[in-house]
Amino acid sequence: MLTSLAIAVLVLLALQTIVVAIVAALRPTANIYVTIIVVSVTTAPLALLYGTHYVGEPLGSDGRLYFVLIHLALGGFLFHFMTLPDRSVTLRILVEVLLAPGQALSTRALGSRYGVKTMISSRLEQLSAGRFLEISGDRRIALTRKGRSFGRFVTAGRKLFGIASAN
Amino acid sequence: MIRLLLPLAGIVIFFLLSLVTVRILKPRQPRLFFLGYATLLLIVAAGVYVRLWPLASLDDGAGLLACLLLQTLMCLTMWNSFYSLLWGFSGGLMHDLYNEPDLRHVDRLVGSYEREAGLDRILSRRLPNLEAGGYIEVRDATIRLQLKGRIVALGTLAAFRIFSLGMGGGVNRLRDASAGR
Repeated sequence: MLTSLAIAVLVLLALQTIVVAIVAALRPTANIYVTIIVVSVTTAPLALLYGTHYVGEPLGSDGRLYFVLIHLALGGFLFHFMTLPDRSVTLRILVEVLLAPGQALSTRALGSRYGVKTMISSRLEQLSAGRFLEISGDRRIALTRKGRSFGRFVTAGRKLFGIASAN
Repeated sequence: MIRLLLPLAGIVIFFLLSLVTVRILKPRQPRLFFLGYATLLLIVAAGVYVRLWPLASLDDGAGLLACLLLQTLMCLTMWNSFYSLLWGFSGGLMHDLYNEPDLRHVDRLVGSYEREAGLDRILSRRLPNLEAGGYIEVRDATIRLQLKGRIVALGTLAAFRIFSLGMGGGVNRLRDASAGR
């Protein structure tokens, strides 16, 4: 039983990963996290079908619910995994060095390829697209209500966990 | 359905243990504690589940798996929130913008991250960590990958390609594309 469940987990994870990769290739500018959520939810009936017919003995109503939860949880893992290559500054630094001629890069060259201006401008664009802030023509930044809530949340979280400084 | 209370209890305990650890013990590497707690709670949850609901049918097995996966996912979510939101770059920017009104201008914000000499605020924190972790070697202001760093970089590059992430690193794909990457 546990072996067939472990195989089922691998099948469901592979299914979601492949579908997400295909959708991302077809729509490269789409938000990858929205893609993962949509794929995970829309393929849940397939997981149910697979769990009901191909895992072994027939599943009861509770078992079917658990199977859908397993599928959605795997989508959640894919979501978290994606934050690593998509968001991590540290991983991007490693890739920049890997792609540099001779796989060696001066700190100055790293700064010009992936510097603070590029990083901040890009993040501000994303935060603006997410309606956390607005940037006016004279480059002033205004926090929206959503942005103030997020800022308050981060400030409270840092205080709660005793984080003095980050970034 | 009542079985799903098990991962809920697990995540509450995980949160409390993490909070107490970070606030009182203040370890240099909280992630090791988080990993230990998550693993321990997973073992405890599996033990409690099997004791309460022996694995007599496929439904029971699926229930166990669902509980363990959900508990792990929630621990990971909390962990990721701690590192990505509270320590991460976007969270840091929002923290600065919220608490320091003077920085609410693109140029002043960028200026607050720059240093007159040497590395900027972002690289100056990360490069020493990467070097200490054995991922890179920095000699004469030149960065070279160590074996561990090369493996991670290759894996990351593969993820960029497979999931069409551009060059990742939180930079807009269109921005990378316009820069000819």
